[in-house]
Amino acid sequence: MPLTAPQPARTPRGALKSPQDFAAGLFLLALAAIGFFGSLGLDFGRLSSIGPGFMPRTVALLVAALGLLLLVQSFLWEGSRLERWSLRGPVFVLGAALLFAWTIRPLGLLIAGPLAVLVAAAADPRSRPLEVLIFAVVLTAASIALFSVLLGLPIPVWPAVLDRWL
Amino acid sequence: MADLFDNLSLGFAVALSLKNLALCFLGVLIGSLIGVLPGVGPVATIAMLLPLTFGIDPVGALIMLSGIYYGAQYGGSTTAILVNIPGEATAVVTTLDGHQMAKQGRAGIALGIAAIGSFIAGTFSTLLIAALGEPLSSVALLFGFADYFSLMVLGLMFAVVLARGSLPKAIAMILLGVLMSTVGTDLETAQERLTFGVPEFADGFEFAVIAMGVFGFAEILKNLEAPEAREVVKARIGRLLPGPSELRQSAGPIARGTLVGSVLGVLPGNGAVLGPFASYMLEKRLAADPSRFGAGAIEGVAGPESANNAGAQTSFIPLLTLGIPPNAVMALMIGAMMIHSIIPGPQIITKQPELFWGMVAAMWIGNLMLLIINLPLVGLWVRLLKVPYRLMFPAIVLFCSIGIYSLNNSAFDVEMVAAFGLFGYVLVKLGFEPAPLLLGLVLGRLMEEKLRQALLISRGDFMTFLDRPISATLLIVTALVIVLAALPAVRRRREDAFQG
Repeated sequence: MPLTAPQPARTPRGALKSPQDFAAGLFLLALAAIGFFGSLGLDFGRLSSIGPGFMPRTVALLVAALGLLLLVQSFLWEGSRLERWSLRGPVFVLGAALLFAWTIRPLGLLIAGPLAVLVAAAADPRSRPLEVLIFAVVLTAASIALFSVLLGLPIPVWPAVLDRWL
Repeated sequence: MADLFDNLSLGFAVALSLKNLALCFLGVLIGSLIGVLPGVGPVATIAMLLPLTFGIDPVGALIMLSGIYYGAQYGGSTTAILVNIPGEATAVVTTLDGHQMAKQGRAGIALGIAAIGSFIAGTFSTLLIAALGEPLSSVALLFGFADYFSLMVLGLMFAVVLARGSLPKAIAMILLGVLMSTVGTDLETAQERLTFGVPEFADGFEFAVIAMGVFGFAEILKNLEAPEAREVVKARIGRLLPGPSELRQSAGPIARGTLVGSVLGVLPGNGAVLGPFASYMLEKRLAADPSRFGAGAIEGVAGPESANNAGAQTSFIPLLTLGIPPNAVMALMIGAMMIHSIIPGPQIITKQPELFWGMVAAMWIGNLMLLIINLPLVGLWVRLLKVPYRLMFPAIVLFCSIGIYSLNNSAFDVEMVAAFGLFGYVLVKLGFEPAPLLLGLVLGRLMEEKLRQALLISRGDFMTFLDRPISATLLIVTALVIVLAALPAVRRRREDAFQG
């Protein structure tokens, strides 16, 4: 895993010279807008007694200013092109975490654990089904032993239904 | 001087208790174990292992966490030498000569000298922390609200200058962090800010959640895109202990690296990252035959590795004496302290001497353990390095999810980690470096508080920041740092340095 991503070849293109900076500028503007408009209802206060709205709005304006700077810059200076975005990685890796969040309470680590491992593994085309299956079982057993038994963290292990039963 | 010895003996009394010794050992061992895995840096390691310390008392927990940190740091160097993959920025330089040595069948000696150099550097910098801790925190106690605010501005600016990539983007990251820190209930008026009606946001964003999302998960997504090119060195590891001639060759570099690294590590803002680079440049310049560098010169491992560890150690100084984290790892440490309801800052040393001195003593013990643990375990590390990434990352996903869930027994936190993972992925794709975001996030609330208090006292007059000598000096230094960083010559050098 290289520390610095390989820079895509820089070729002159139209008026927009750095698509990455352009997108970054838009991104900052969007976040600044959320921060600014989201805190409009809060009192700005006076300088001698600043209110709860002072910090969010001031900082949001500064973020917006930097966003604009990046937008301007992207037309002036050569910069990186936008990298390719992959879908498979984010969908399965983040999906695995979400699935874990939704299943841990009702189903317990016993089921949520292997589920998360299996779904996450699907993010990599090089994963081998049987290997992952065995690995998921071993990992779950190990984490139950470590987190629940050894460290005594109150994490649900069994499905909630069984728990009431046992 | 007598005080120092009294304090250190108090510290050793705390650190040498059987329980703390065991925690330190466990921390170093697990930290090395995870840190060795390529693609898992110290921040991700600490974020992942944070839940392990929940059940422990504060002193023990911090001792274990610092152990994890040294372990992760040294584990990163092991990976740099054996696989040519730097676990993090500070290990980049080690790949240059360390991996060459490994290819020549001298991996053992490279690892050995790295461990010995790190130990010597750790011993020196621990003494430095012990000596500087008290005077620095008494200076910090003189600080008024305005001075504190300016100090934080300076620290954040340093962090910006030392981050990779474009300056406006790094500044934007800090500000975004500050903006995110305002989410939650306002301390003064108890009004909800930027919570958008979500009840879970009322307490603000959980620091570990953001760190895990933006560092842990986004890192996985980044790694999945890079084709896996990992070549564990095939040559023999060879003997571990350097011979007399190699020790003689390394003595100078270790001493110089220790000094350089210690000084740079104290800088607010991530100074520690510069240590290894500076040491490497220095050794290359001093060498009789500079062409040996890059072809397996032992000085090129001994110097930077010592600087690396010295800086890792002295970066605790701003955290413990001023309550200001100089880098992302220390920001996580603050998060950990807050979980254990310790408020970092100059008052720690006087109010909780057993915590401060216990940690200092444990630092030295941790370094000793690093030396004892790592050398015999090299064989195990080599085998660990052969675990393919396709198995590693699902395990990381599972452990992160369990860890975050256990933080508050909250499934919502796990959902947030996924959201911040996506956020971190977007940041990476848009060319933002996420480390400054964490610093802004951790310092944001404190900065707002100090700003509010400073302006209250001055009745809304911003000149208070320039009238007070301490504050004015800090702001002038800040301005100088910005101007310097923007100069074309420095800018180019800065880019070179981060290219490795």
